[in-house]
Formats: sequence, structure tokens, C-alpha cells
Amino acid sequence: MWSSLDVSTSALTAQRIRLHAITSNLANISTTHNEQGEPTPYQPRFVIFQTAEEIGPPGAPGVRVASVEVDEKEPLWKYQPGHPDAVRSGPMTGYVAYPNINMMTEMTDALEAARAYEANLGAIEITKDLLHQTLRIIA
Amino acid sequence: MYESLFNATTLPVLQQVVSFTQARHQLLASNIANLDVPGYRARDLPVSEFQRQLAEAIRQRNETPAFRSPGEPETYATSRGLEPVELEDLPEMILYHDDGTKGLEYQVSEMLKNQMQHNLAVSLMTHQFNLLRAAINERT
Repeated sequence: MWSSLDVSTSALTAQRIRLHAITSNLANISTTHNEQGEPTPYQPRFVIFQTAEEIGPPGAPGVRVASVEVDEKEPLWKYQPGHPDAVRSGPMTGYVAYPNINMMTEMTDALEAARAYEANLGAIEITKDLLHQTLRIIA
Repeated sequence: MYESLFNATTLPVLQQVVSFTQARHQLLASNIANLDVPGYRARDLPVSEFQRQLAEAIRQRNETPAFRSPGEPETYATSRGLEPVELEDLPEMILYHDDGTKGLEYQVSEMLKNQMQHNLAVSLMTHQFNLLRAAINERT
């Protein structure tokens, strides 16, 4: 019974890390510079979840974030010839590369992560309730 | 006289459990307080080690009959010598690169377990005292 608390807790942490990635994508929706200040558009991040056999009872594994991946998709090109990051030569002259992030998808994912977090909180409440009921028998 | 009265029951065991959970609660609270400190390594008391020592102490007490001179207190050597250990691998570490161990959910859930263990021990203790009081008063 105690270990189902661990399972729910692992899911809470995983969903929060996922929410971190999503908020980072939304925050950088029009970022055209990278950390070094070079004109490279931000690439969206996403997390990979993996079942964690070491958490929880055998047969009911928890979850953990295996890795945070960078989505290498083609940037969105906007025509802004006056922009300092605009391409100077070639067929894309005058275009600025913006991150290819869909706000609708990110918001839906954020909502899903929040709901999953709430669901796991609900599971924790139920587990806690059951434990309380059991302990009431002896004390 | 009081030693034999109180030590005949499970009160010494419960006492150790309560002092252990109290010490652990302090550590968990300090982990939560230091959650945003860069490079902070979360610490915890080893629960399984405590359980092992307690089980060992109970086994020893049950094996050796109490040939003690009157007034000599019964020794219960547990929860002493338990040092806090640094937590190794918490899931949230993937987000940070300062080698610190973080994990709010983990700490809170450990706190919940610890609190329930503490409450259980305290209510069992209350129960024991109620029984003793009933015996002394010859009524419930």
C-alpha cells in the first residue's frame, strides 16, 4: 500500500517536468537567438517517459523521465527584411527563422499534463484515505 | 517499579519509532526549505536500517530473559548512531545541472508516510496508556 504512494509520486514529478518543457516552449515561442546570442531559432523541447520498474511494487511500475529531447523541425519563415536576424543572401533573403511551435498543441499538452497531475493527486488522496481506514482498526 | 510497568509493554518500541519519525521529519522539512539552494544535496535517515536495528533489538529483548537488578533500566539501543545519508538519484535532477538533489513531490510524499507512521505510533501509545490507566483505576 505504501508503494502505491511512490508510484503516484513518480507520476507527479514526471508530469511536472513535462509541464516545465511545455512552459519553456511557450515562453520561447518567438525566440530567435540561442544561449550564445547567435541567430538560431529556439527548437521546442519534449520529454520521453519511461516505466520505472524500480519504483513501486512488482507489476505496477512507476514512471520516470528518460530524457528531454529537442525537436529538430524546420523553423517558420517570416518575411522581415529589416530584422537584424534576416537571411542576407540566397533564396530566403529577407526572411527570419522563428521557432516552429504551435500554441494550440502546447496549450492542450499543458492542460493534459495538469489533468494527469490532478489525477495522480486524487490517487494519492485515495491511498491516504485507505491507509487511514486500515490504521483506524488498530488504533 | 515503574520501569517494569512501562517496559513490559511495547512502549519502548513505540518511543523509539516516535523519536525516529520526529528526527526524520526535521530532515525532510529542511530538505524542502533548501529546495532552491543551488547544489543542495537532500538528506534522509535510512528507514530500512532503522527498522532492521529495531527488529534486532526486539529479538534480543525477547531472547534474553530480563535478569536485571531492580532499578536498572532496560537498554534499547536503536535510533542512536543513525546518521543522515545523502539521497542519490531523484527524478527531478534531469532539469538541473548543479548536481543538487531536488524533488518536492518526493519529499512531501516521504513526509506523509513519516507522519502516518508517527501518528500510528502515538495512537498506539495512547492506547497502551489507557489500558494501564484502566488497570490502575480498576475500571474503564
